[in-house]
Amino acid sequence: MIEVHGVSRAFGEVRAVDGVSFAVPGGELTGFVGGNGAGKTTTMRIVMGLLAPDDGEVRWRGRPVTRADRRSFGYMPEERGLYPKQPVLDQLVYLGRLRGLSSAGARASVVEHLERLGLAARAKDHVEKLSLGNQQRVQIVAALMGQPQALILDEPFSGLDPTAVDSMADLLREHTSRGVPVLFSSHQLELVERLCERLVVLSRGSVVAAGTAEELRAGSTARHRLVLGTDAGWVRDLPGVHAVDVAGPSALVELLEPDAGRRLLTEALSRGDVREFSLQRPSLAQIFREVTA
Amino acid sequence: MTLATRPPTEPTDPGTPAERHTSEARPWALVAAREIIVRVTNRTFLVSTLVTLVLMGAFAAFSTWQSSRGATFTVAVTTSDAGTLVQQAATAARAQDPKVDITARPVPTAAEARRVVTAGDADAWLHPGDGGWVLTSADQPPAPLAAAVTDTVRSQALERNAAAAGTSIAALERGASVQLARFTQAGTSPTVISVATFAFALLFYFASLMFGQMIAMSVVEEKQSRIVEIIATAIPLRQLLAGKVLGNCLIAFAQILLYAAVGLVALSFTSWSALLPSLSLAVVWFVVFFVVGFVSLASLFAVSGALASRTEDLQSTTAPISIALMLVYFASFSLAGTAKVVASFVPIVSVIAMPARVLAGTAAWWEPVVALALMVALAAVTVAFAARVYTRSLMQTHGRVSWRQALTAGG
Repeated sequence: MIEVHGVSRAFGEVRAVDGVSFAVPGGELTGFVGGNGAGKTTTMRIVMGLLAPDDGEVRWRGRPVTRADRRSFGYMPEERGLYPKQPVLDQLVYLGRLRGLSSAGARASVVEHLERLGLAARAKDHVEKLSLGNQQRVQIVAALMGQPQALILDEPFSGLDPTAVDSMADLLREHTSRGVPVLFSSHQLELVERLCERLVVLSRGSVVAAGTAEELRAGSTARHRLVLGTDAGWVRDLPGVHAVDVAGPSALVELLEPDAGRRLLTEALSRGDVREFSLQRPSLAQIFREVTA
Repeated sequence: MTLATRPPTEPTDPGTPAERHTSEARPWALVAAREIIVRVTNRTFLVSTLVTLVLMGAFAAFSTWQSSRGATFTVAVTTSDAGTLVQQAATAARAQDPKVDITARPVPTAAEARRVVTAGDADAWLHPGDGGWVLTSADQPPAPLAAAVTDTVRSQALERNAAAAGTSIAALERGASVQLARFTQAGTSPTVISVATFAFALLFYFASLMFGQMIAMSVVEEKQSRIVEIIATAIPLRQLLAGKVLGNCLIAFAQILLYAAVGLVALSFTSWSALLPSLSLAVVWFVVFFVVGFVSLASLFAVSGALASRTEDLQSTTAPISIALMLVYFASFSLAGTAKVVASFVPIVSVIAMPARVLAGTAAWWEPVVALALMVALAAVTVAFAARVYTRSLMQTHGRVSWRQALTAGG
C-alpha cells in the first residue's frame, strides 16, 4: 500500500497541492481524477520522488518510501519521452537495467511485453520511426516491465485506440492480481468508472473525495425516479421531498427525510398507477461535478 | 470520505529477489556504457573519425612521397666547357643531397637550347656570358640547381683567382671562420616550439568544443524527451552525470589517442621525424593535462546541457564555456615572458601553456607537477559544483534556466 500523508507543494505563490492525503491499497486499481491543474501530476511526481514535498510524506508498506523502493516502482510520466534515435529493445533493456534488473531478465520481460502489445516486429526499429500510438505502447512497456512493486501512471490511456485500451486494462489487472497497488490518472471518467475499484478526486490541490465507487455513491445525495400514469406535478408540494425535475408523469426527486419515500409512494398509489419507482445510481461524472463544484 | 479501511494486501514480493538483484552493475557504469555504445554506433561520428584518419595518412604518404622523390634536373649545354661544369655541379650537389641529380644535355645551337628549355625538356641552359656564366631558364630557375651551379662556378673562379694571385683558398679563408656557441643547454628550435604549441592549442580547443557539445547535447536530449524523469526515479542524478561524463571522456580520450598515435606514426615517415624525440615528453604532459582539464570541462558542459530545455537553447547556455575556451586558445600562443609562466599554472590555460614550456625546456621538473595538482583541485571543485547544479536544473523543464538561477535556486 502507498500512503500519501498531508503532502503540500507550492511553486512560488501557487500551491499546487495542499495537504493531500489518500491511500493506494495493494491489489486494486485506483483512479486519480481531477480537472486540469488540480495537482494530479505534481502529486504523482512527489510520490515518485521527482519533486520534494514542502510538507507531508509518502509511505510505502507503512514506512517512509526510500529511493530503493521507488526503483522498483513502474512510472509513466505525464510527458512521454524516450531516446528517439535508439532501437526500442535496446533502450527498454537499458531502462530495465537502471531499475536493477539483470540484462537477461530485462530482455525477457521486454520481449514478452512487446509481444503482448503487438510490437515484437518493431523491436529493432528506432523509436522515432514508430507512430505516436506505438511510442505510447513502448512507454507502457518501460513502466510495466520487470514485475514492478507498484505502478504510478500519469494518463496511461491517452492516445490509445480502444483495442489498446483493453489490452492495457488487462495488463493492469494482471498486476493488481499480483497484489500490486496501481494509481493512474485519467480525464476519461467513464473509463475510470469501468476499470477502477477505487477513486481519488482532486480539486484545486486538495482531495475532495476518496474511496471505492460505492462509498462515493453513498456519500452522494441519492435520487429516485418516479413514473406515474398521470401528471406528477403534485410532487413539488410534498413535504420532505425535493423535486429536482418534473416532466409530465415523470419526476426526479431527492428524499430529504427518512420517511419521505414511504409517504411519496403511498400518496402516488392513492392517486393512481405507479409505473416506476427506482433508485438512480449517480454516474461518476455526476459525483465528480458535485464534489468539485 | 474515508481512507482505505480494508486490510492491506501487499504483493508477495513480485519478481524473485534473485531476478531483481542479480545485476549489481553500478548505475554510472551502465550510463557510461550506453553513452559509448550510442556514440560508436553513430554513423556521423564513425565517418568523421575515419575521414580524419584517412586525411592524416594521406598527408604522411604525400609528404613521404614528396621527400623521397629525387629531384632531377636537366641542363642544356652548347659548349663542352659548360658540360664539364654541369658534371662538377652534379658531383657537388650529390655530395650535399644524394637525391639531387643533375645531367647535361648537349644541344647544337642556342636556338635549340631555347626550344628544349621552353618545351620543358630541360630545366635551364648554361652558357658563357660577359666574364662569367649565364643560367637561363624558362622562368624562375629551380633553387637547388641554381645553388649547385653558382657554388661550383664560384669556387672554381676563386681557386683560379687565388692561384693567379699566388695564394690558395685555404690561405685566404684562414681566420675567417666563426663558431657559434651558447651558454644555455641546446634546446628545441623556437619554430618547433611555436608550431607544436599551436598544434596542442588547436587540438585542445577543437576536441573540448566538439566533445563538450556532444555531452551537452546528450544531456539536453534526455531533458527534452523527458526520459530523464524515468531515469531519475531509477537512479540518483549524480550517477547519471558521472556516467555521462565518464563515458564521453573515455570516447574523447580514445579518439585523441588514436589521432595522436596515427599522427606520430605518420610523422615518423616524414622529414619531421627528427623532431619526435624532443616532442614526446611534451606530448605525454599534454595528454595528462588534457585528461584532467577535460573532466572539468566535461562536467561544465553537462551543466550547460541541463540548463537548456531544448537543443536550440544550447548555443546560449554553452556560450560562457565556449568563449572561455577561445580565450584559452588565444592566450596559449600569444602570451610571452612572465605572463606565460603565470598562465602555465592557471588551470585549463595550463593544459597548453605548461607542455609548451616543457617543450621549450624552460620548466623545472616540479612545475608541471604543481600545475597539474592545481588542475586536479579545480576538476574536483568543478565536478562537485556540476553535480549540484545539474540536479537542480535537470527537472526544470519549463524554458531555459540561467546560470544565476541554477546557482541560487533551492532544491
